[in-house]
Amino acid sequence: MSAVQALLKRRPSTLRVLSASGQLGYGIPHKALAAGLARHPDFIGCDMGSVDPGPAYLGSGEMATSPAVTRGDLAAVLTAARRLNIPLIIGTAGTSGAGPHLDATLDMIRSIAAEHKLHFRLASIRADLKADRVIQALEANTLVPLGGDLSVSAQDLRASTHIVGQMGCAPFEQALALEPDVIIAGRACDTAVFASIPKMLGFNMANVMHMAKIIECTSICCEPGGRDAMLATLDAKGFELESMNPDRRATPLSVAAHSLYEQADPVSFTEPDGTLKVDTATYRALDDRRTYVSGATWQDATHTTIKVEASMLVGHRAVLLAGTADPKVIQRLPELIATVESTTRALVPGEYQIYPRLYGIDGVYPQQNRNVSTPVRESFILIEVIAQTPDLALAAAKTFKQFLLHQGFNGRQCTGGNLAFPFTPPELAAGKAYRFSAYHVMPAADHRELFPVTIETL
Amino acid sequence: MTQLQDLATVIRSKNAGPLTLSLDLMFPSEESYRIALRSSSLTPEAIGRLYDTAPEKISVTSYDAARAIKIAMPRKIVSGSPGDRDVYGAQQHVPLLGLEL
Repeated sequence: MSAVQALLKRRPSTLRVLSASGQLGYGIPHKALAAGLARHPDFIGCDMGSVDPGPAYLGSGEMATSPAVTRGDLAAVLTAARRLNIPLIIGTAGTSGAGPHLDATLDMIRSIAAEHKLHFRLASIRADLKADRVIQALEANTLVPLGGDLSVSAQDLRASTHIVGQMGCAPFEQALALEPDVIIAGRACDTAVFASIPKMLGFNMANVMHMAKIIECTSICCEPGGRDAMLATLDAKGFELESMNPDRRATPLSVAAHSLYEQADPVSFTEPDGTLKVDTATYRALDDRRTYVSGATWQDATHTTIKVEASMLVGHRAVLLAGTADPKVIQRLPELIATVESTTRALVPGEYQIYPRLYGIDGVYPQQNRNVSTPVRESFILIEVIAQTPDLALAAAKTFKQFLLHQGFNGRQCTGGNLAFPFTPPELAAGKAYRFSAYHVMPAADHRELFPVTIETL
Repeated sequence: MTQLQDLATVIRSKNAGPLTLSLDLMFPSEESYRIALRSSSLTPEAIGRLYDTAPEKISVTSYDAARAIKIAMPRKIVSGSPGDRDVYGAQQHVPLLGLEL
């Protein structure tokens, strides 16, 4: 009997949900995971990705996490779930959840299964969207940027290396109907990873989604926050939250505060399946490190919308890294940079962009007036070049380096050089540069066909 | 006058998706939370001047259960696009620190 069949047969009236990782692949704290497993969870959920690390991973198809650490994390949750014969659900496989990320994750799962002689039913859900499907929405004027300004064109969508849709609960429910032991999904809502099983079992959707929203980040909702496994226990009226690290306290305030995290609106959350509102929720301390939550509201969506994420190549990046501590150089740094940029452009022809960041002056905040007004003891100089070829990007960085090193100015005393290089070469090829080409929502009446499910027996 | 950094326990920024910057303010007591809620320095107009953004693009909402105020606005450069200086948006709270309430 598969883990999902066994759970359906038991139909527990209280459901223990173990969130093992908020972003699998950086190392799962062992002690808290073991403590969570000792509580006999009904299933394990893990989020494995995010849009936070920027467009490079979706664009390149590579993971943000190291293969060795990722494999170790997968092995920890897979062997635990098989030992307890409980379902394991992992969403947004391999950082961005596009085809290459999902395939690399599935390969790791298969290799761990072979190594540990595990036999189970593995369901996988793909999240890649065809450019034409998204262009259809664009042409129908129903592709809407999510929260800011990002114009999108059919040309950009066709040029995107990967386009994914973010699945809600429905594709997981399709996968659960195949009675697997393990589900690995491409790009997915964090909530869907934790909500699909309780939804299948008929728990109240407002509590289910609120619980899912909070525990997908493991113990970040605690005081002090952390990355340790988090246990939620759902019942007919609400849910209890407890960190599996005894030093982390889930207090009414810390849990309520978590609803602000990475959200534009702290009380209303729109998901593909509906809208969760937490303004009526109550948070009650059970003791000093457990909180009971109830009272959120849920409205089913009248029509399903899904988020579309796409990333495209913009060029090849090279960077120059240097420092300076000479007060006269620092004083004139913005002006020296502008001069050397002109020199570089005259000597290295071709199309490229140069983005200087002068830490101590304007590294994090661009300044309207780039004159140095506060005393700066040292400045770190990062020169980023993006060009159509890696060679051109590096050529511009090299020439920039040499001319900035020796650029003269009135009153200069440091005629040996303006810069301190931390190592050689100080100019480095930094690989391909990407940008998000879409971060939009679109109506998707066809969402059941957009996320195909396959099952295999290992 | 009190500065925000002397009143709040949390003053943080982070992307809410690659197009949106979100700023969270959390307060240690009901009293400090109410002071901030009443302040004319935390209106979309005042925040707009601080972040050089049109007030109609800025939302300021509050959540009593968390004694928290949320400010959201579009990012000027999409996260990770060429020219970005803060991919996660985690260092965009600094203009708020010295804000007089």
